[in-house]
Amino acid sequence: MSTAVTDKTNRLSVTAAGGKMIADYWDGVFNARERGDQVVWYNGQALNPIFQAAGLVWCHGEAFSARLAAQHLEKPAQLAGEEYGYVGELCSYARTHLGCAVLTQQNRQGESTGVVGMPDQQELASKLPAPDFFVNAYSGCSTGQQWDDISFRVFGKEVPIFNVSLPFLWGNKPDSGYLVGEEWEQTSEHVADQLHKLIAFLESMTGRPFDWDALRQNMAYIKRASELRREAMALCKLAPTPATFWDWIASIAHINFLPASQDLVDYFAAVKAEIEQRVAAGISGVHNERYRVYFDGIMNWNKLGWLARKFADHDVAVIAGRYTHHAFWQEPHLIDPENPIKGMAQHYLLCPTNHGTKTIQDLVLRDCAEYGVDGVVFHSTRTCRAFTNPQRLIAKAAQRDLGIPSIFFQGDVADASFYKDDILESQLVAMLEGIDVRRSQAAG
Amino acid sequence: MSEALASALAPLAEVAEDPDAYVVRWKQRTGGKAVGVFPMNFPVEIAHAAGALPVLIQESREPDSIGRNLLAEFYCGYTRNIADSAAKGKLDIYDGFFNADHCIQLLGAVDVIRSESPEKPMFYGHLPTSLTDEETPAEARKMMQAFLDEIAEFAGGPITPEALAASIALFNENRRLLRELFAARRAGDACFTSEQMQILVKSSMVMDKAEHTAALREVIAAAAVAPRDDRVRLHLSGHFCHAPKPELLGAIEECGAIVVDDDLYTGSRYISTDVATDCDPVTAISQWYLQRDAAVPCPTRVQHESDWEDHLVRSVRASGAQGVIVLMVKFCEPHMLYYPELRKTLEAHGIPHLLMETEHEGVPLEAVRTRVEALLERIRRAELVSS
Ligand code: SF4
Ligand code: SF4
Repeated sequence: MSTAVTDKTNRLSVTAAGGKMIADYWDGVFNARERGDQVVWYNGQALNPIFQAAGLVWCHGEAFSARLAAQHLEKPAQLAGEEYGYVGELCSYARTHLGCAVLTQQNRQGESTGVVGMPDQQELASKLPAPDFFVNAYSGCSTGQQWDDISFRVFGKEVPIFNVSLPFLWGNKPDSGYLVGEEWEQTSEHVADQLHKLIAFLESMTGRPFDWDALRQNMAYIKRASELRREAMALCKLAPTPATFWDWIASIAHINFLPASQDLVDYFAAVKAEIEQRVAAGISGVHNERYRVYFDGIMNWNKLGWLARKFADHDVAVIAGRYTHHAFWQEPHLIDPENPIKGMAQHYLLCPTNHGTKTIQDLVLRDCAEYGVDGVVFHSTRTCRAFTNPQRLIAKAAQRDLGIPSIFFQGDVADASFYKDDILESQLVAMLEGIDVRRSQAAG
Repeated sequence: MSEALASALAPLAEVAEDPDAYVVRWKQRTGGKAVGVFPMNFPVEIAHAAGALPVLIQESREPDSIGRNLLAEFYCGYTRNIADSAAKGKLDIYDGFFNADHCIQLLGAVDVIRSESPEKPMFYGHLPTSLTDEETPAEARKMMQAFLDEIAEFAGGPITPEALAASIALFNENRRLLRELFAARRAGDACFTSEQMQILVKSSMVMDKAEHTAALREVIAAAAVAPRDDRVRLHLSGHFCHAPKPELLGAIEECGAIVVDDDLYTGSRYISTDVATDCDPVTAISQWYLQRDAAVPCPTRVQHESDWEDHLVRSVRASGAQGVIVLMVKFCEPHMLYYPELRKTLEAHGIPHLLMETEHEGVPLEAVRTRVEALLERIRRAELVSS
């Protein structure tokens, strides 16, 4: 039983226009075949500026699963996956996307899926154009690379695949750390080398020389968009916050896989401008902000709107999160548009699951202090072990080093069945009561 | 089983049952360092060549308790158990830890150990997992050299090529002896139960290699060929990183089945591949890593030349197995991803199979028996129809 929730959110209006950009992008993917475009399926890091420069249509597997889940259209793909034999505890991004692969492959072969009902939704899942080739570039999580290897197998091992291997930044050396040390320098060069090989592979797939000028231009747009995004995020250190984590979630698609263009820059300029207007007018992202929390975990796409309303209903502003703030071209100073490969390689290594716990903990605690949060909410993501790996240790460190309490709630990236509303509700209420007690003790 | 065989097996069974006690005894006896190694691809020969005792850390037999809250409950039993062992201080017997495997759950557990024992050396080397890429052999070699350098630093002295070559020869001999026993089982010798086969492999993962080889020779000398009876012949497949519970193996055979082959990690997967002795040892160890996957394909690696499902069907045909039990460690992602490919192929070849998930906290023996009996019944009925 879910608890009823009133809406005290005050989401940025600019993200509504952003929704159209996303829909247009996906329409472009669905219609790729009609235009005679080549399609690449990829997973993991944002290789899209490279694909864009190569004149390809790109489809990010996780993004497609997330989109289906956010629109509550994930079931047919998941049923197809289940029927094919995937166990329900498997990463639900992978399960959903592999379900799509099964449907797409069956569609191609003119088979019946065996999945009954919901024909329109099913059509959406199988509308995905089959890939001309795959590219995998997954950092952090071992499942990412294995998932594409299985997609390759679902398509009968007949579609070419290229792997970019991204080493885990474990931190073996005394000089290891975030953006520093021998390990960082060496792995950056190693990945940069592979990106050159990827580009050669793309040339062989397209039969065209790679357009380096286009890549430079793309990265100039992305660098600027990222700077605007980070500047706008920093404005949310103010209390009350002018925008929330949920606004950054609504802007992930843009920074993660929409085409690099002036439109992208304009979008983030508009986000920043709206936030600046709010700051000037004293408007907050949650009506009556009384508590500020940090969100650790990958997104629960099925419950996006629900969670935004639930936290706001308790006067909680979710300010920042590991998923939104430690990913997606988040270090724009590393990008040199004239010579973009190394900075791209470095971002591909900077996935928020690709570090040892110590680094992740340092970054999360740094943000908790900078954004002035009262507590941390951990989304214990049932089928995403990559994100849950360090959570218990971070929670201990937040309490020990900053005196910040934490709660855990279970949910999932794309499988609604794992979300337990009662648990979140009771945990949240208990944490807020604890915060009230401490505040009154401090005041008294 | 003869008395001689029982007494030859007994010391190995003791180590398999309580590996920690062996490690403590070995350290007291030799004054040497013990290296805790994580499955499934660390080249243990290197640690041996440095004079240390490399021990593949086993799942403990105790229920998880104080470390239960260090990893979420949806992690595989092995990773949750080693986090629990770290919290209990049971891993303090090791002087350092080495890991070559990029399983995200394993890394989570290893990071728990790092946070519980920050003073201990804890080296992770990311071996390339995509095995057919152009740069993979060179990258694998680079990583093996890094392991060598780190172990040398840990042990406090360089590892000579001669020492490494000697360790390689010793480990090859141990694998060869074990492989002979597996080959004999495949060919029809029912001398050892699957629980006993597990003891032989598990103790090899823990003990000093020369000592283990000597003990193994005694076992082989005491063993007598026992022809298979008419129980239903099964192949056990899967179960990465740690051993299925002995009582599970016992329950399967008590239902009227005989295990004739496996591709379990604590089984034929572990001993599948030798290290070459006709090239420089670092190159040889790198090649061993790449060849292991060709010998018994593993879904934790990505390669396109060989397929686990084809290997499985070939093994089933070679041993005359009538069915397969897929033992899946609950929450093991590489296995969950690959399972449908196995299922599809087994079905296409008309090979009956059963999927069973395992957890750290005990085996529901009644449920296991019911499901295994149903599989055996299915196999018997199919045989009747076809005859
Ligand atoms: S488990 Fe998480 S990080 Fe890993 S592939 Fe799935 S969604 Fe990505
Ligand atoms: S059993 Fe599976 S999930 Fe567990 S550590 Fe091994 S590969 Fe990873």
